[in-house]
Amino acid sequence: MKRRLSLPTRRVDLQRRIPFFYKKRTCYGVKGDTIATALYASGVRIFGRSLKYHRPRGLYSMDGECSNTMMTVDGVPNVRTETTLLREDMVIEEQNVLFSARNDLLGFMDRLDRFMPAGFYYESLHKPAILWPMAAKMVRKAAGLGHIDPGFRFSGICDEIYPAADVCVIGGGPAGMSAALAAAASGMRVILLEARPWLGGSFDYRLYAAGETMPLYEQAGELSSRVASNGGIRVFTRTAMVGGYNDNLVTAVTEGTPEDPFDYRYVEIRTKSVIVATGARERPLLFENNERPGVMQPDCALRLARTYGILPGRDAVFSVGHDFGLEAALDLSDLGVSVRAVADVRKDGHDPALLEEIHRRNIAFFPGWAAALAEGNKKVNSVRLSQIGTGRSRAFSCDLLAAAAGHTPACEPLALFCGRLAYNETTGYFLPGKYPPGVFAAGRVLGLEAPTSIRASGEWAGHEAAAFCGADCHAAAKDARKALDGLPGPHAGSNWIAHPGPGRKRFVCFDEDVTEKNVRQALARGFDVPELIKRFTAAGTGPGQGGISGHNLPLLVSALTKKNAAVPTTVRPPLRPVLLSAYAGNGREMTKKTPVHEAQAKQGAVFRRVGSWHRARYFSADLDVTEEVANVRSNVGILDASTLGCFRIFGPDALSALQRVYAGDMSAIRDGRIKYAAMCNHDGCVIDDGVVIRTGTNDYRFTTSTGRAGETGEWIRYHTRFEKWDFHLVNLTDGTGVINLAGPRARDVLEKITDADISNEAFSFGSWRAFRLAGGIPVTCMRLGFVGELSFELNIPASFMQAAWDMLLEAGRDMALRPFGVEAQNVLRLEKGHVILGQESEQRTNLLDLNLGFLWSRNKDIKPVGADALGQAESDPNRLTLTGIRMADTHAVPPDGSVIVNNAADRRVIGYIGTIRKSAAVGAVVGMALVEGPYTREGTRLAIYDGHSNMNVFQHATVVRMPFYDPEGERMRI
Amino acid sequence: MSLLIQCPICGRRNGYEFRYGGEDKGPYPDGPSISPAQWYDYVHANTCRAGVVREWWCHRQGCGLWFTLFRDTGTNVQVSAPEGEQ
Ligand SMILES: [Zn+2]
Repeated sequence: MKRRLSLPTRRVDLQRRIPFFYKKRTCYGVKGDTIATALYASGVRIFGRSLKYHRPRGLYSMDGECSNTMMTVDGVPNVRTETTLLREDMVIEEQNVLFSARNDLLGFMDRLDRFMPAGFYYESLHKPAILWPMAAKMVRKAAGLGHIDPGFRFSGICDEIYPAADVCVIGGGPAGMSAALAAAASGMRVILLEARPWLGGSFDYRLYAAGETMPLYEQAGELSSRVASNGGIRVFTRTAMVGGYNDNLVTAVTEGTPEDPFDYRYVEIRTKSVIVATGARERPLLFENNERPGVMQPDCALRLARTYGILPGRDAVFSVGHDFGLEAALDLSDLGVSVRAVADVRKDGHDPALLEEIHRRNIAFFPGWAAALAEGNKKVNSVRLSQIGTGRSRAFSCDLLAAAAGHTPACEPLALFCGRLAYNETTGYFLPGKYPPGVFAAGRVLGLEAPTSIRASGEWAGHEAAAFCGADCHAAAKDARKALDGLPGPHAGSNWIAHPGPGRKRFVCFDEDVTEKNVRQALARGFDVPELIKRFTAAGTGPGQGGISGHNLPLLVSALTKKNAAVPTTVRPPLRPVLLSAYAGNGREMTKKTPVHEAQAKQGAVFRRVGSWHRARYFSADLDVTEEVANVRSNVGILDASTLGCFRIFGPDALSALQRVYAGDMSAIRDGRIKYAAMCNHDGCVIDDGVVIRTGTNDYRFTTSTGRAGETGEWIRYHTRFEKWDFHLVNLTDGTGVINLAGPRARDVLEKITDADISNEAFSFGSWRAFRLAGGIPVTCMRLGFVGELSFELNIPASFMQAAWDMLLEAGRDMALRPFGVEAQNVLRLEKGHVILGQESEQRTNLLDLNLGFLWSRNKDIKPVGADALGQAESDPNRLTLTGIRMADTHAVPPDGSVIVNNAADRRVIGYIGTIRKSAAVGAVVGMALVEGPYTREGTRLAIYDGHSNMNVFQHATVVRMPFYDPEGERMRI
Repeated sequence: MSLLIQCPICGRRNGYEFRYGGEDKGPYPDGPSISPAQWYDYVHANTCRAGVVREWWCHRQGCGLWFTLFRDTGTNVQVSAPEGEQ
């Protein structure tokens, strides 16, 4: 199609052709086109098929407010082609069609509507139950738009920013721009959000001057150049607001252009004041086949012509209810569209200047008339106009029907900030009754139509917002209000809905194929308010989220029930469909690496994420830890345990704080000795374990598990918040590295690099010493036995970690010392029956369940957190208890977390496995499990359901004693 | 969590920086006579009132302080202390 060249309002660059693929053939758009306008210019009228009835659907609104023009683009389904900028070589496909949108083999569905009334899915297909899985599969296939390949990965770039502002203006039309300029004039930092690619709003494409000298598009241009040159205003175009929250937090998403370094950018704005200037959209006119391709909103038709240079049709009929509709008819007529007739639901109240122009052009005008029926199989070929009240009608042939019942405010952002909307009798608009502090509205969203009023209301709102933020501009705000009051106020809007009739093919909601008849059916069932009807019929629950159906639904319900205008349904974010990837943002991994991360990587470590850390889990490419384990058991290994939490607590009341959070008695710590200790929550459930040492008077060090380090500070302060205790807590985790040197030859290695006496006599199991390694590296060394061998746990300042690591490797070279990873440690500690919280325990597991009751001291002056609950749990025999199990089969290893059932016929679940591994030292597959008390006697046979096998095949295990390895603990005491 | 919170030390900050610590129910009930039901009530029972509630919050990504504030649970914004409380 040839486009109009000489249009001052044109926004596309006709010299820059952009190729794309549609249905496997190459088409061309031009720079500035959206996908939809490029397709329309290429002659495409049927963009897709509707969800339920597979009706042909076409371009309707241009702002992505319905699913009509959603398509699959480059493999991404449900792309809103009306708002998505055309890019080179895009591959565009139709969706929800069998064969093609033009000849959809599922088109017969349209005739089945009698058999699919509102609530069809709820009321059928669920009986008998045996049919449900099959029916569900069918429904799933039929329901939902677009298909996504399960292997599809979104390849776009998502970004996120968090700007702050004094005033955030939503909507870059004349009101929004005036507001931004007024607020910036008082020195406010202003952010202006505009969903379209340019500022200007409804003025951008209108030659009309409304009695002034400057046409509206020039007024828009003048305002936007002032905005652009104002350093106080940060403009975000292509940025639609998606959420508004309390304390005036605004979220939005920017769609990137090929020039941007991102495809989508999440924008979260912290602002003191918000001005909503989102304008109005056209309220759809309801008539039979009101969504047939060729029917579109007048605003859409005008923008196609004025902004994109595309004539929307040859022969047009207009059925409108607002002055803008008359203006659009006139302008399109001037651009060469043959306007056959203009119907207006209003009998009077038209702008006389527009009426005069209509008469001057000899356009047939029908006040008090409205479209009743669009005809044409796949596209409109004629329209029947009918007089309201009398039923007199006339048919006109046409290929374009520009239809709207009038304007309705784009008030969703206001609803997010202000809550419930109320019906305004003057405008016929749904508007908030009350605004929270700092929230203002301006422009067409309030029902203002006169360009002077629109601009003046923006200025007023801008001054008010600045005053709210503390600017000294109350006088300016007052003057602006006075000026606004002297101008034309809100326009009387039309609340006309439809001619009488059953409304079988009058679509209230395009996305979900909900007709007026469906709404009647819902009413007949007793669903008498829009909220309920929305749920029963699904109207407004599709991708457009009520953009099309939004205000027609309450108006229709109120007309049908003869009750006062009902309120629209609740508005929730996101206001526009947003890719989850956009919310996820740039997805940069925020993790920490230990001081010897690189060294371990060079030694072949395979890392896994643990909490906020990367930890070396394996030192073999095939993830087999047999050798790592064997080397620790028979020789010596080193493990990087730097991720463990490390804290210092000191001050006069440090001991009191420890007594409060640890179950055991921390006053009983002897000099040079290590106390193993656990923390419980109020329910007695174990949240952490570690060791505590006393390093001086009122000075302690303690460790936490990797995952708890971040929360430990909060935890201790929380449980001491009512006390006026004097203590200081320092998190040393990131500044402290830990190396566990473990194995029968550990002492031989350590002796080589320290002069300290580390003999078993001088430094026995369960104690700690502070000394220096060669080169003066200070260490706090603990003799612990987590892996069950002689071991020295060296706490080293992080900056010395690399040196100490290298020194140990060098010292152990002739003894075949090798690093081992967390998985080897997992096997080693499992053989010893040592628990890892979170693996052997979960939320409900208390200290007693883990056989750790000895860590609880009942006679402390300060009652520890969880003591009351532990006291109550003591007498409960049916709790799950930590139990050692040994598999009957020596090879099969069920997955961690496998469910344990009893051996009775009912196969009741009696527990689950925490960790289970094949143990070379034991010569069997052994594990730790939580099992109901009565099943924990040694020798009890348990059945394990591993989730992979057949429902009725179980593996068998026997309850055995723990530890599985070195039960007397001799090896760690050498 | 879009609300802003006034930390007594750091001033008004983004709500993301804070951890919610539950309704303020006063110090832990103590003494040997505490019944399981009393303890359960203290730990788990909340008023869940729609309106102004005094709560504990922790400025975890800031100074680390635990403090109480008043929040209107209906609108999810921090409010000043009601008449007679402080
Ligand atoms: Zn703070």
